[in-house]
Formats: sequence, C-alpha cells, structure tokens
Amino acid sequence: MSQESMKLAAGIDIGTECVKAVVVGDDGRVRGRAVAPTRGYFQTCAHEALASACEDAQTDPAALAGIGTTGFAMECVANASVRVGDSSCHALGAFQQVAEPMTLVDIGGRDPHVIWVDDLGRRTDARGIRRCALGVGSFLMFTARHLDVPPSRLQELAAAAERAVPVSSYCSVFSAGEVLERLREGATREEIALGCIQSIAERIVEIGGFRDPLYVCGGVVDYFPGVLTALQSLAGVPVRVVPDPIYTAAVGAALMSLRQGEVS
Amino acid sequence: MTTFGSTAALRATMDAYFRDVGAAAEQHLAPVAWCTSVGPAELLRALGFRVFFPENHAAMMGAARTANRYMPLAHAHGYSQEICSYLTSDIGAYLAGESPMQAYGLSGTPRADVLVFNTNQCRDVRDWFEWYGRRWNVPVVGMRSPRAIETVRDDDVDAIARQIEALVPALEAVAGTRLDAGRLEHAVRASRECSDLWEACLRTAARRPAPLNFFDATIHMGPAVVLRGADEAVTYYRTLLAELEGRAAARSAAVEGEAFRLYWDGMPIWGRLRALSSLFAEFRTAVVASTYCNSWIFSALDPADPVRSMARSSLELFIVRSEEAKEDYIARMLDLYHADGIVFHDCRTCPNNTNTRYGMPRRLGERLGIPTLVLDGDVNDLRCVSDEQMRTNVEGFIEQIADARPAAGSAAS
Ligand code: SF4
Repeated sequence: MSQESMKLAAGIDIGTECVKAVVVGDDGRVRGRAVAPTRGYFQTCAHEALASACEDAQTDPAALAGIGTTGFAMECVANASVRVGDSSCHALGAFQQVAEPMTLVDIGGRDPHVIWVDDLGRRTDARGIRRCALGVGSFLMFTARHLDVPPSRLQELAAAAERAVPVSSYCSVFSAGEVLERLREGATREEIALGCIQSIAERIVEIGGFRDPLYVCGGVVDYFPGVLTALQSLAGVPVRVVPDPIYTAAVGAALMSLRQGEVS
Repeated sequence: MTTFGSTAALRATMDAYFRDVGAAAEQHLAPVAWCTSVGPAELLRALGFRVFFPENHAAMMGAARTANRYMPLAHAHGYSQEICSYLTSDIGAYLAGESPMQAYGLSGTPRADVLVFNTNQCRDVRDWFEWYGRRWNVPVVGMRSPRAIETVRDDDVDAIARQIEALVPALEAVAGTRLDAGRLEHAVRASRECSDLWEACLRTAARRPAPLNFFDATIHMGPAVVLRGADEAVTYYRTLLAELEGRAAARSAAVEGEAFRLYWDGMPIWGRLRALSSLFAEFRTAVVASTYCNSWIFSALDPADPVRSMARSSLELFIVRSEEAKEDYIARMLDLYHADGIVFHDCRTCPNNTNTRYGMPRRLGERLGIPTLVLDGDVNDLRCVSDEQMRTNVEGFIEQIADARPAAGSAAS
C-alpha cells in the first residue's frame, strides 16, 4: 500500500514528565515519533510533539484521519477525535507490538500499573500502586538531579555500586528526603542510585499478579533501564520490554482513533 | 446527583430532628443520649432519650468539606492521623467550638447525658465516646461485640441480649424513668418498619435503569440513621418509596443513558460525593447498590421479641461478619442488582469498613468472574484522596467493562 492511500492517525500521550506523540498507519506500523518534555502549557507541548512526529513521518498534520489522546492531560488537546484512559491505550499499544496476551507493567511519570491484557489487546484487569508511592518517574528525576547526573546515567551509576543503600519509604516524597539523608550520612552516589532503582522495583512487585509473559512499557524503562534490571531480579518470571516502550500508550491512542474511524 | 421531589420532606424531617435534639440538650427538655450508628437506639427512644448520632454529625462535616479544618486540632490532642477521621473531625470541631448543628440554631454539638456505644463496628466509637465522657463527666456504657462472625449463633445472640439488658439500669438512672415494655415494642416496630421501607427504596435500583444511585442514597438515608425507631422516619420513607416506584415505572434514570452498573463496597468519600457521582455519570455508569446503604437494613428486628431481635440485628450486620460471610453477601447483592463490577473503597482511616486488605477483591473477582477496582481514599480526610488517581482508575475500569462486552461500543468520550 502506498503512503498516499494509507490512512494515518496520531496518538498523543500527555504525561507528567513528557509528551509522547506518534503517527501510525492503518497497517499498525509506527511512521513517526517524537517526545517533548512536559513544561508550561500542556497544549503547547502536545502541539510541539505532534508537529515533530508528523515531520518524522513526513506527513502533513492536516492529512491525519484522527488524533487519539491519552494520559494525564488528555483533555488539553482540543481537536482530539478520541480520548481514552491510559491503561486501555497501554494494553492496545503493547499488544500491537508483541501480539500476545500478557501481564503488562506500565512505569511512567505517575503511578505504575500492572495491566492484564487479553488476546484482543484489551485490558482485563489493572492494579495500581499504593497511593503514597505515586510519582515514581518524577522521583527518579529528582534523584538524578541530586546525584548530579542526567537521568539516563542513573543506571551507569547504579551499575558501579557494590551495594545498594536502602531507600525504603512507601512515599515518594519521604523517599526523596531519604536520598538527601543517605547523602549526608556519606553513602556514595552509586549506592543511592542503586537503592532508588531497587525501591521502585520493590513497590511494583508488591502489586503482584505477575504471569508469564510479562512485559514492561512506559518512559521509566527508557530513561532508567536499571529499574528493568531490578525488576528482572525480583519478578519471578522473565521480564521483556515492549519495543519503543515510552510510546506504548501513544500508539494505543492512535490505534483507538483509527478504530473509531472504522466504526463511524 | 438526582433531584428528587422528596428532598423537601427530607430536609424538613432532618431539620425538625436536629432542632428537637438541640432543644432537648440546650433547654433540658429531655435527656440526651449519644448513640453509635448501630447502637441500641430503640432502647434509648423507649426510655425517652433524644438520640444523637455523632457519626452522622461527622459525615455532615465531611460532606461540607470542613472536616479537614478540624482534624488537626484532634491530632494535636494526641489522636493520630491514622485513626477514624470521623472521630478526629468531630472532636476537632468540638475543640474549635464549631458544629454543623449551628446551622439549625444550636450553639454547638448537643451535650450528652450518657454515651452508648456498640463495638460491633469498631473500637474507635468507644474511644471517641470516652473522650467526651471524660470531658463532661457523664457515663459511657455500651455493648462489646464479637467480630468476624461466620454464622450468627444463638449463644452469641444470648450474650449480646444480656449486655443490652444490663444497660437498662444505668440508662434508667440517667433518664429518670423506668423502661416500659410497650414503648420498647413500639420503637422496635417503628425501627423495623423504617428498615423495611428503606430496603424497598434501595431495591428500586435493581430495576433498569436505576431510579436512584449510591450517591443519592447516602443523602436520603439520613432519617434511617438518626430516626430509627421513631415514626418520622417511617413517614419519610413512605414518601420516598412512592416517588421511587413512580420513577422506576416511568423508567426515569438516576444516570442518563445508564450503560453500566456497579456495586460500591466501603465508606462513602463524603467530600467527593458530587464529584464521584458526576464522574461515574460521565461514563454512563450507575452505582446501583452498596454495602454502606444496606447496613441500615435490620430485617431481624421483631417487636414480639425486642431485646433478642436487637441483639441478632447487631450481630448480623455486614461489618461484624467473617470474610466468607461478607463475600457471600456481596455475591448475592451483585446478582440482585445486576451489577457489572465492584468498586472497593480502601478507606485509609477506617480499616473496619474496608474490605480490600485481606485479599477480598481478588477472591471475589475470581469467584464471580467480574472486574473489581480498588479506590484509595478516606471517609472524611481529603488529604488521603487523589482526584486525578481516582479519575484515571475509574476511567480505565469502565473502559475495561465496556471492552469486555461483545457488541458494546467503547466508553471513550
Ligand atoms: S466504622 Fe470506621 S468510620 Fe465508622 S466510626 Fe468506626 S472507624 Fe470511624
């Protein structure tokens, strides 16, 4: 099928840390993608990410058959053709990529979820983390800032640690306080980096219900791959990553938009 | 929330009740007893007490979103953030010298001559009442109940009946009168009638579409809570039932375009009643039944055997039952009300009315093959509520139910 005859839709996942946009063809393939940090007005970030994704896909935004939005600020895109909650989008987006029913762990800027996905890409159940452990992505950003490394280097620091110092609070704000206390007590940056990463994995494992195959998606595994390593050691089943994990919900939103086009 | 014609009668009934209790306390027209929500209200009425229910008082502060102003005052008195936020709201308001009763012309919370608890629901009610007992130097008496009951046995009923009988001399001394068997029988009869009518009102929501939902019912249950055993409650529920039956016959829906039906387990989140009602309505979802509103159905009450039947009602209550008995009850309710799923409220400061912490949502989900959702929140303490998390969770849950329906469209807006 030529690009001209193909229907294209965009998906935008407007999260608390980043806005992710994709352009997806009606064959399900991702044609363009872009990430913009969340800052200032959500509308502006969404517009910026969408424009970049369209440029990456070499398509004109006016040629899109629809725009699906999801995530924290999904209401902020005025011209969206469909708005869908993020767990359903994660489920469909991940299913599109891996084509099998799964247990899916979404670790984004806010609250991690374990989502059970059936053989049609539908969410059949979902469980969240306890309330005080919200904001794990934001917590890791905080940690990286205090350890004076770019977020993606937190993993390198952690890999060099001989041991993890415990960062054990349930609450992200308390944990942030613990990071400062451990630094004051003389713990190394490496030990703290590993401790933080492990604490996130522990909170997620507590949600429970993991069954094989287990996949992970969301921005945290892109930015902080150490969380994946820690999860692999704790989960009790093999842990795989959905390709392009930061875009999973955006892909789901784009597919929802294409589907809606089929119905109407 | 649904607008009912009966609301005017509800307001008048509650208004008259608050003014009556207030006048009794402030002008010493009658003795005043404080009673926990499932305490021996019928006995107190039969002895001529005006009965005040502090849980209702605390819920009013929750609904008005003033509770969070008061809780810190109780915390500063050594009452933890982790215990019942009804207790801390109520004691905090007292310390602040404020009360929702002031809207009814009272100077504050009506002062008790005696406080009567029943620990079948929790220990907090007793600690709550003892705070006031020490403050006012008045007696605190009550029933100490077994908990986690599988099947209500006769020996348990006997034990509680003996405890109720043992309360009588102390209560007679405060009331300055002797218990009259005829008055007790009348109060139990009125209580049972109120219970039957309230049950019938709730039961109208088994129809499709439901003419009222959980959020409406939490408002209209006021008389069943505070006027149990009094004729005024019976009069009110006759009015409400007639309206609900009319609405059901006319297929007038509480939730426009009702597409999904849910069961609510756990306490209401009083400060978010309207917000949650709108949120569910946005997804064409009616919360058609709840453990909470059903807890004021006391079908065991029998005027021919007042004390034992009060004891039995106290032990049959959902909150005092074992996990298995609770699960069977919820399963029956789901069937009766044709619910598509269950929302469990994990109420941070009320473990007693929270059924999420020992695996029940997963067990019930697996046993019945229905989806369950756990919402973190609190009855009064809005510091424990995240609106954003609640919205995300509700939205995803209803999308899941919609997606599981073969021919139904998506719940996406
Ligand atoms: S049952 Fe819960 S909300 Fe009610 S008084 Fe006891 S602790 Fe408070």
